[in-house]
Amino acid sequence: MRTLAIVFRKEMREILRDRRTLIAIGLAALATPTVLVIVSQVSTKTATQTYTVGYSGDIPTGLDILLTSTALKLEPVADPAAAAKQQVDIGVEFQPAQIDEWYDPTRQSAQIADTRLQTVLGQFNAAKAAAALQQKGIDPGLLNPVPLRLHPLSSPVKAAGNAFLSFFLPYILITMVLTGGLSAALDASAGERERKTLESLLLTPTPRSRILLGKILAVSVISLVSAIAAIGSMLLALSQLPLLGAHVTLSPLAAGVMIWLAILLAGCFSSLTLTLGTLAKNFRQGQAYSTPLYFITIFPASIILFIPDFNPNLAYYLIPILNAVLVLRDAIVHNSVAWPALIITSASLAATGLVCWFAALRLFTRETLLIRS
Amino acid sequence: MAVKVDRLQKALGKNKVLRGISLEAGSGEIFGLLGPNGAGKTTTLRIICTLLSPDAGSVEVLGFDTRTAPEEVRRRVGVVTADIGVYPRLSARENIAYFGELSGVLDGELEGRVDMVLERLDMVPFATQRAESLSSGQKQKVAIARAIVHDPEVLMFDEPTSNLDVLASREIRNFMVESRDRGKCVIFSTHVLHDAERLCDRVTILHEGTVVATGPTADVRGAHRDLEDAFLELVEKK
Repeated sequence: MRTLAIVFRKEMREILRDRRTLIAIGLAALATPTVLVIVSQVSTKTATQTYTVGYSGDIPTGLDILLTSTALKLEPVADPAAAAKQQVDIGVEFQPAQIDEWYDPTRQSAQIADTRLQTVLGQFNAAKAAAALQQKGIDPGLLNPVPLRLHPLSSPVKAAGNAFLSFFLPYILITMVLTGGLSAALDASAGERERKTLESLLLTPTPRSRILLGKILAVSVISLVSAIAAIGSMLLALSQLPLLGAHVTLSPLAAGVMIWLAILLAGCFSSLTLTLGTLAKNFRQGQAYSTPLYFITIFPASIILFIPDFNPNLAYYLIPILNAVLVLRDAIVHNSVAWPALIITSASLAATGLVCWFAALRLFTRETLLIRS
Repeated sequence: MAVKVDRLQKALGKNKVLRGISLEAGSGEIFGLLGPNGAGKTTTLRIICTLLSPDAGSVEVLGFDTRTAPEEVRRRVGVVTADIGVYPRLSARENIAYFGELSGVLDGELEGRVDMVLERLDMVPFATQRAESLSSGQKQKVAIARAIVHDPEVLMFDEPTSNLDVLASREIRNFMVESRDRGKCVIFSTHVLHDAERLCDRVTILHEGTVVATGPTADVRGAHRDLEDAFLELVEKK
């Protein structure tokens, strides 16, 4: 244990004096809130922005008031179809019996204006029909023979926030655990070889397994710090910004699951990146070897983005990284933990970390390590 | 004998680097391991210090076999090479203390040992400076200091002056002499025969993985003008 602590202490000291690592952690903590502030401002602006409707013909009585109150500005034009191409967001021609609309689906402003127009027209038509029926002494409820009453089991706004978190948080967690410790891992492995300290280190009577374990521990700690800094700042930003109409928060259960998974992932990635670094002759080669790892962070999180209701059987929880994403998603969305899934995930990640550790140790004890350097 | 090498063989890939060499180095002497580049000097030293394992033959350091007791051997050996790699973000003192700790120097003794080594190698003025800002000569001193901080009985120098200027090289040579006078077994590997002739009490000359001559320096030189002439004649004969 003493030698393990010696290696750990020295590695931490070096890491904390490494500008690259400190900048990476600082950027990780700043980047996510910055992105969220921008997203929040853009979404707020989009929601309150006024869009222009170029029209011709006579506007039905009352409709102009409804349109204006929905932030649709009416502007008379000679040719609504031509105006919809650039001059205004959508073009509308009011005829006695129908309304023609022109819009360009490739423009987001046109899409939003179209949605608003359809919503307002739907309400206007329903109101007109109800008034006409009432005038003739017929119950307007006839228009809606089977009314639907909604009973949401949780807040729809909160659900939307959780859906956002269930994609974004696993992505940030995995990315930051990997990238936060990458520089330190390569420096502690390929860097030893590059600056020619490896031979002196291996000449000490300290068992190589302890040297390696000390390095893995140090890299894991820095990965964890990086991930927690990024996620902490993200959650802080989310609690202050009205994103998706509400302040998004993480439940204590989901936070606990996240920290547990972060520890497992940090151990796993540290072993893996140290293995790759040990294979490399220098820092730059180590970076080249590690580049494919970035895809690992993207694919599992993408599954949640594209298939939000992906509910696989337990066998899927054996797949490292994907299992962490699924468990974390469940904890965030349902605020509950499926224990069998969590146990399988923990065992899978621990086994992956062990395999990587053995691989790194094997490389670390091979003569070719020295001969190649 | 402090170091005993017996019929040592080693291949690196398809290249047979050592073809059954034997040699012995004792305490209180500077033993020269000489030969041109590729003769097998560095491989021999790496096997003695347990970084590589022999294919055949055996090596004993102070009675410990390098195969069966590698950690005991490493505790008793200090190695200085031409590669003066140091941890750039640690100070000279921190570099030395780290290797002292890993070599088993106890916490209570560490500070005193490091101070002693710093003074002995005249490193006090730059002891707290980060290694990345040190000159080559100062880095070489750090490399020597970390190799001797645990006070090993056997000191091995593998081409230690090849990257250094005249002044720094002289300091290394002086240090080797001083270590010999303190009773250490000093093994000096070099292809600069002139250096070896001045320093070594005994030498072994390697050529293509075999021993071509061994014995007291004066005996190996024989009637030749210097060790270099003796070496050239030995190689030509072979």
